Parts: sequence; structure tokens; C-alpha cells
Amino acid sequence: MPKWGMVIDLDKCVGCQACVIACKEENNVPHGSPEEQRSRREIFWHKMIAVTRGKYPHFRVELLPMPCMQCDHPPCVTVCPAKATFRREDGIIMQSYRRCIGCKYCMVACPYGARSFNYKAQEGKPYHHQDEPPDRKSWEPWPFPTRTQGVVEKCTFCFHRIDQGLREGKKIGIEVVPACVEACPSQARTFGDLDDPQSPVTKLLASRASFRLREELSTHPKVIYLSR
Amino acid sequence: MRGRKKDSGEKKNDLQGFRLTRRKFLKLTAIAGLSAGTFGIDKVSPEAFATSSFPSGSRGRWIPTSCLNCSSRCGISVKVEHGRVVQIKGNRLSLVSEGQICPRGHIGLQVLYDPERIFTPLKRSQPKKGKGIDPQWKPISWDQAIEEITRKLRSLRESHIPHHLLLFSGLNSRSHEDLILRFAEAYGTPNLVSGEGLDDEAERAGRWMGDGHFEPFVYDLDHTHYILSFGADLIESAPPVARWLRKWGKIRRERSIRAKVVDIQPRYSLTASKSDEWIPIHPGTDAALAMGIAHVILKEGLFEEEFIKRWTVGFEPYRELVLKEYRPESVSKITGIPAEVIYRVAREFGQTRPALAIGGKGALAWPGGSYTSYAIHCLNALVGSLDTPGGVLYQEFPEYRALPKIEGDEIGRKGLEQVPIDFRRTELFPVARVVTNQIPKSLREGKPYPIEMAIGFNSNFMMTAPGSGEWGEALKRIPFYVHISPFVSEMAQFADILLPATTYLEEWGYEHSSPGGGFVEVRIKQPVMKPMGESKSIGDILFLLAERIPGTVTNAFRRIGSSVEEFVRFRTSSFVGWEEFLKKGVWRGPGYEYRKYSRIFQTPSRKFEFLSGNLKMLQNGKKKMMGQAAPLMPCYTKVKWLGEERQYPLLLFPYQPLLTFENGSQNYPWAQEIFLPMQGVGWASPAEINPETAAQLNLKDRDRIWIESPFGKIQNSVKLSEGVPPNLVCIPLGQGHTSYGRWQKGIGCNPNEIIGVDFDRLSGQSTFFNTRIKLYKA
Repeated sequence: MPKWGMVIDLDKCVGCQACVIACKEENNVPHGSPEEQRSRREIFWHKMIAVTRGKYPHFRVELLPMPCMQCDHPPCVTVCPAKATFRREDGIIMQSYRRCIGCKYCMVACPYGARSFNYKAQEGKPYHHQDEPPDRKSWEPWPFPTRTQGVVEKCTFCFHRIDQGLREGKKIGIEVVPACVEACPSQARTFGDLDDPQSPVTKLLASRASFRLREELSTHPKVIYLSR
Repeated sequence: MRGRKKDSGEKKNDLQGFRLTRRKFLKLTAIAGLSAGTFGIDKVSPEAFATSSFPSGSRGRWIPTSCLNCSSRCGISVKVEHGRVVQIKGNRLSLVSEGQICPRGHIGLQVLYDPERIFTPLKRSQPKKGKGIDPQWKPISWDQAIEEITRKLRSLRESHIPHHLLLFSGLNSRSHEDLILRFAEAYGTPNLVSGEGLDDEAERAGRWMGDGHFEPFVYDLDHTHYILSFGADLIESAPPVARWLRKWGKIRRERSIRAKVVDIQPRYSLTASKSDEWIPIHPGTDAALAMGIAHVILKEGLFEEEFIKRWTVGFEPYRELVLKEYRPESVSKITGIPAEVIYRVAREFGQTRPALAIGGKGALAWPGGSYTSYAIHCLNALVGSLDTPGGVLYQEFPEYRALPKIEGDEIGRKGLEQVPIDFRRTELFPVARVVTNQIPKSLREGKPYPIEMAIGFNSNFMMTAPGSGEWGEALKRIPFYVHISPFVSEMAQFADILLPATTYLEEWGYEHSSPGGGFVEVRIKQPVMKPMGESKSIGDILFLLAERIPGTVTNAFRRIGSSVEEFVRFRTSSFVGWEEFLKKGVWRGPGYEYRKYSRIFQTPSRKFEFLSGNLKMLQNGKKKMMGQAAPLMPCYTKVKWLGEERQYPLLLFPYQPLLTFENGSQNYPWAQEIFLPMQGVGWASPAEINPETAAQLNLKDRDRIWIESPFGKIQNSVKLSEGVPPNLVCIPLGQGHTSYGRWQKGIGCNPNEIIGVDFDRLSGQSTFFNTRIKLYKA
């Protein structure tokens, strides 16, 4: 079984936020409004944060693109009372919108702020990908979901692309990558199997110094950054 | 509201969805009432755009076309599912950006489906014009609109004053630019005004002084090892943006040698944060620094001797000037950069080959900006980075099939001979090709002649030009103004007739570099869906207009086809087959050839000139366009600030973030919510102030303030930032829209409103940074 992971090279990253927008474009993630930003109710599956330090003129800002870290020891899964969030065999942390009771416990537990609560009903947009109707008997999440109000949602590593790619026998990480990886104009992102010594991600990790966010919490994120 | 919308087709819309007939439009308009603002356009769209159900399983198809959210015009691939556009990515065959696009490219979806677009010709019924005055639009038919416009156009020609027609061209496709130019020439007006006078005219003029090319610089990013950037926001606004974003990754980590990037500008920008070194400089002193760096290079013999001996002239006087007047110690006093830093950077630049010096708007949109551009150009010449791998390139252009010559009549010829109303290439602006921001003054004073009629093609200079209040005053004076754009922009509010244009995803056209990568690349623009509502592409509107102006204009257009599609096909048939072009979307010429020194320099000496022969010709030519005192070599002149220092102690420093659109609108929530990543804010354009300055003025984060200059005042909020020097106030451009749009109206402020109108006199470039301001609590 592969273990999907993502490597983000902060030296190549240009802070353009194409990843943020491509994620919204791919997954029908609704856009916010000034009011929602003020009350912090926006939904982002992928965000960009700025870490600042120093005083003028010795000032530095580091921009960090942050999808869900897809932790191998995910605190969100541990705390979920409804078993709505779970770890797939390939390591992707998924959210079942049908099981979720909207208690937001996972949002509190997540040390990366990767999760968003959906406060509003889906607003139809002409550019939305149309829903592929799920098998109603199944409890599995489905791609391009029409949003369910009152549940927590998060980045899925574009699992629908991976699953589809595997069905079609394509090389994951080379021919098929998540939307943010595909959209990155500076190609700072790499996706692949962390357990495969031949995959682009493992090769890249072997070549450079890398770090994960908040390693001290032993969450074992599968999103790994290459430092500048 | 738990649960999802049912999949049954209870709310069945037309699959095309958006074909809003005129009748339906009128009906809805009547319901909405001709109320405030955009007369209830808000009410129309939600219904038109409501989601409906579709059969599943279809994977959609990808159509190659071109983006037009900024002047880079990247090749894109657009996914259409069930007649709807759902995804945009780069066209892999386009090499300018290696198949990548910037974030704005993706937001094309929201440009296309902007819920407040207009879909029918509109006529104003409120005779009074002005900012904030509701024009009270009444929908009219295309036929009536075209008839009213051409009646006026015909009458100007009949009165032998075709030059009293003024054309504004905003951000348009190359094909549409060609058509607009043809229209102007056939009609007989010299007054075609683009927005280039606001962007990079100083850069072009500086280049022209050195090598005779009046073109923006193009750089070989693949091979360069060192980049010295003077006020160029390389990964925010330097065109072509997508190329910069892609190559940034390449030069940093995809080669054996990692290029070093040094960013020189007063503000800690996104580019500064991603560079290896940020050197804050006193605003407006970049020319001095460039000359100081040249001093070290000359003194320590780090220049490329072979190249200079063989292919340059004027080296001796230049060397004398630089060695005498620009010692790093004195430059240090001007720029505020320690002399040892200047020495170090100069040695790095002089010893690394190939190295590039790049000037951007932050360094060049100043009075005297063309000399700054020239000074930076000379740095590249010193280290031999001209037409070499890793150096400055000479953009090549496609050879389109030539258009049949316009058989002009006497009226048209006389009109074309008139002095353009922006006074380009006169004593006022000797080198200028277009002086965008001179228009308000000319219109107000009626000089050199009054303007009877104007047509705006996608332009929105009321937002993008400094002193935007002046534009309002001036536009009021145009007796008959026609505006063509997909939405009611700020300029459109002054229109007598407003025509609905299509967006770039619904129309035909072609695009080429520049800005590009040196080599020739032509990209197709083909409609990925039918035009929404009754909107028409600008090109097709021109064909309609031309049809009804008998004589020269009709003939000029009849001979190039009957629609833009035919025109594009005709033009590109000289190098690419139509079917292939439609399928691939990109045609590329032969690879770039370096070191064409014997034929690229378009100067009197046919060499690169440190002492500009082109300028000298202006001085000594028949027209005597320049005074004898004007310098012929690059030089630094002290900035003349607008406003008294005692009264206005701070400096205003506007900048353009990556997510600012260049099409005249900002009504795109994807861009708005993450507008400023460095500050972590969206839906706003806060004034960034150094905490020390804020403490002196007793201001806190998020306080409301007034920002006042000698030319007006605007309200804004405060954002404390350590990346701003104590005497500067930085405000992003792009916000502060007043005319339409639920996602842009009333958000942030537009610093252009309080910037004074001033020019780089040589090139006609508008200055953006030499206005003084003061702050106080609102």
C-alpha cells in the first residue's frame, strides 16, 4: 500500500497562491466575503500563511503554503466522536460528511488549522464541477461534493484524482497529481509515495534538508517542506 | 438546510444557461426597477446562473485559447463540461511560461461568470455625468446603438474633423489592437490612446536611448546566474508574470548553479521575501545606485572589454562621468545604502556571468525615469549581457500576413496629420509614443483642439491613472462617449452608450509576445462557449461600425473579412494551418539566435551607445524637440516632490500585488479574499505603516485614517508592518472601485485618487511615487 505525501520546496515557492485558488477551483470550495473573513468563517482547504520576524530593516517574512498535513498520527481522527474523520489505508485523512455531526472537536484538535466548518448552504456557481452522484448506500465521501451545511470539511489530497488515476493505471505523482501540485507555476510541489524509494518525493527528500510543521507534537505530517 | 440539493431536474434551465434574451432582460429589468447603481443587474444574474442538474459521467473537453487578465496573454487550456467552463490551466505547448499560468489565469472563471456583467447595449437617460451619478441606463437594441454611434462618426467625417474622435484602448488582444489601429487609420484620427503611458514607457525610452529599441526589456531567465532587480516586483507584477513565476523555480533549484537574486526597493515586497537579499533604498534614487555600481565595475575593470571595444560607442565619456560623479561613498549618501554594500553588490554583479540588471516600475515611474532605465541598461552593456544567453534579449515578432493597404481619402489624411491630443513626440514629450495621462488636461483645456466624440475599448484609466479625479472631470466634457466593456467600469459610467463586450473566453483573436521570452510565439484565442447574452467581441463591433461608415472605413474592413474569426484566419495563414492552430493553440517560430550584434542595434552608430545618438538627433533635428542642455548620458537627478515636506512629511508608495487584475475590474472573490498574502488580509487595501511612525502619530493597527496629499484625501485603514521604512506609506493598487460589483464596490481605496499628475518628460510615462502625504485619524 502506498503512503501518499507531498513535498513543498520553499526555495522555489513564489508565494503566488495559485495553489489556493486551484484548490477552490477543483473542489468547489466556496469563496468567502468580507463579513466571513471578519468572523473567520471562511472555508479554505488550502491556505497560505505569513510568518514574520525582525524589525525594519532586518525584517523577514516566510510564506507557508498549507494544505492538510495528512498526519500519520492524526489528532483529528482520535478525537472525532462520530468516526466521521478517518485514515484511509493509503494514509489520506478523509472526512465523511454524512457521519459528521458538526461538533468541531477535530478543528480544536488540529494543530495546523487545516479544517473549516461549513456555515452556509451551497451557493450554485456556473463554474462548479457537477456532482458525480454517489451511491446512496455507500458512506464514502464523493468528489466535487455539493456542500453540506453544518459539517467540517478539509483537504483530501484530491483523492478523486488519485483513485481515478489508479483505476486507469496511471503513475501517481507523475501523470496524476493533486490540483495544487498541478497548478504550481514554479513547480515547488511534488507528490508521490513516501514508502517508495524510487518515487520523486523520496528522492527529493534525500537530497535536501527538510522539516515538518510542529514536529514536536509527533503528528508525523505527510506534507514535508524543503527549507531555503 | 442539511442535505444536498436534489439531483432531479426540477429547476431546469437552458443548458447554455445564460442566453438572456432581450425580452427576458427587459422583463427582469422592469421587475428590478431602474433603481440605484447598476439598475438591478444584481437581480438578473442569480436566476440566470442558478445551478441546474446535469447528466453525470461526461469528462468534458479541453480547448486551447489565451488568457487576458494581464498583458502577458498566456496560452491557456480551458475545460468545458456540459457547455460550462469549469477549469483553466496553462497550455503545455506554450513555452513562454512553460505551460504554467499565474493565479489570475484560474480566476478567468469568475471573469467569465461575473454575475454583474452587462448583456445588452445600454443608453443613458440621465444627461448629467459625474462620479456617483446614476446614468439611468435604458436597454436599446444593437441596431439602434450602432446607428446612433455611426451617425455621429459619419457626421465628424463629413465636417472634415475626423481627428476630433478619441479612442481609448485598455487591455485588449493583439488582434483587437490591430483592428482598432486599422479603424483609427482608416477613419483618420491620430488620437488612439493606450494605457502604456501608465506602465512601461520610461523603461522603453531608456532602452531606446541605448540600443534604439522602443520595446520593453525581455530577459533570458533560463541561463542567468545573477539578478539585480531595481524596484521590479519580479514575482508580483513584472510581465510576463507566469514566465517569471515558472522561471523562478527553475533558476533556484532546477539547475546545477542557483541564480542569486538581489532585490533593491524601499518596501519589503513579496519579491524581497523570496530573494536572497533585500536592500532597502531611498525612493527615487535607483539611477544613482546603478551609476555607483557602474563606478565600481569600471574602476576595478570588471567590465566585458571585448564587447565594449567592438560593439559600443561613447564608452570614454561615460566612464569619465561615472568615475567623476558617482563614487560609492557619495552614492551611499543619496541612496542610504552603505558604501560597502554597494562595493559588494557591484563586485558580485561584475564577476558573475551572465548577470542581469532589471529595472521595474518602482524604479522607473519617476520624473527622469527614462534616464534611470538607461543607467540600468548600461549596466547590462558593461558586463556584456546583451543578446547573450542569460542576458537581455531582443523580442522577435511573427510575420502575419500583411493587411491590404488602406486607401485613405483627403479627409482622413488631413486628420492623421494633426498633432495628437496627448502631444506625443512634440517638445512636451519628445520621445513619447503615448502619453495617457495628458488626456485629462487636453480635454479640459480643449487643446490642441476639442474632442467631439470618444470610444473606450475595455479601458478604465479612471482607476489606473494617477490623479483619477481629473479623468472624471475630463470625461464629462466629451459630448458623446461610447464605452465598450463586459461590465460597468468606472469609465463606463460616463458613457452615453455602453456596449456589452464579450470576455476573452468568448471571442476570437490572436496573441503574441512581447512580453515574452525572445522567440516568436503566437497563441490563438478561440471562443470556448457562445457569447453570453447579446454581448459581442470588440472586433466584431468594429466590423459592424465600419460597415456603416461608407468610404474609406468600409473598404478598409471589407478587405480583411467579415468577422474577427476570418480576420484571425487571414492573418495567421502566413505561418500556420488553421486546423493545427485550432487544435494546438500555439505556434512557435524558430529558436532564438544569440549575438546578432551586427544587426540588432538601431542607433546612428549601429552599436550600443553609452552616449545616446538617438537623443542627439532629437536635439539637432529639424524640429528641435529637445533643449541643448538635456543630458545625453544616463544620470541621476534629484526628485522633485509634489507637496511641501513641512506640510506633508510622508511619502506615498503604491504597488501592484499579484492578484490585482488589469482588465479594469476586481469583482472576483477568489482574488479578493487572499488579496495580500504578505499581510494576511483580503477584501481590503490597507495603508502599511512602520510601527514607529504609527506610534508617533498615535495610530494603531486597523485604525481608520485620512491620507491627504495636495491633491485630495482618501480614507483607509492602518496595517502596521516592519517591512516599510519610517517615512513611507505603502498602499496596494487595484481596490477602491466605485461603480459596480458586489465584491469590489466600496472595498479598500484607490491611491491613484490622491497622486499628483506628473510625468517623465522624455517618455511621457506617468509618475506614481513622487507625491507627499500626511496622515491623521478619521
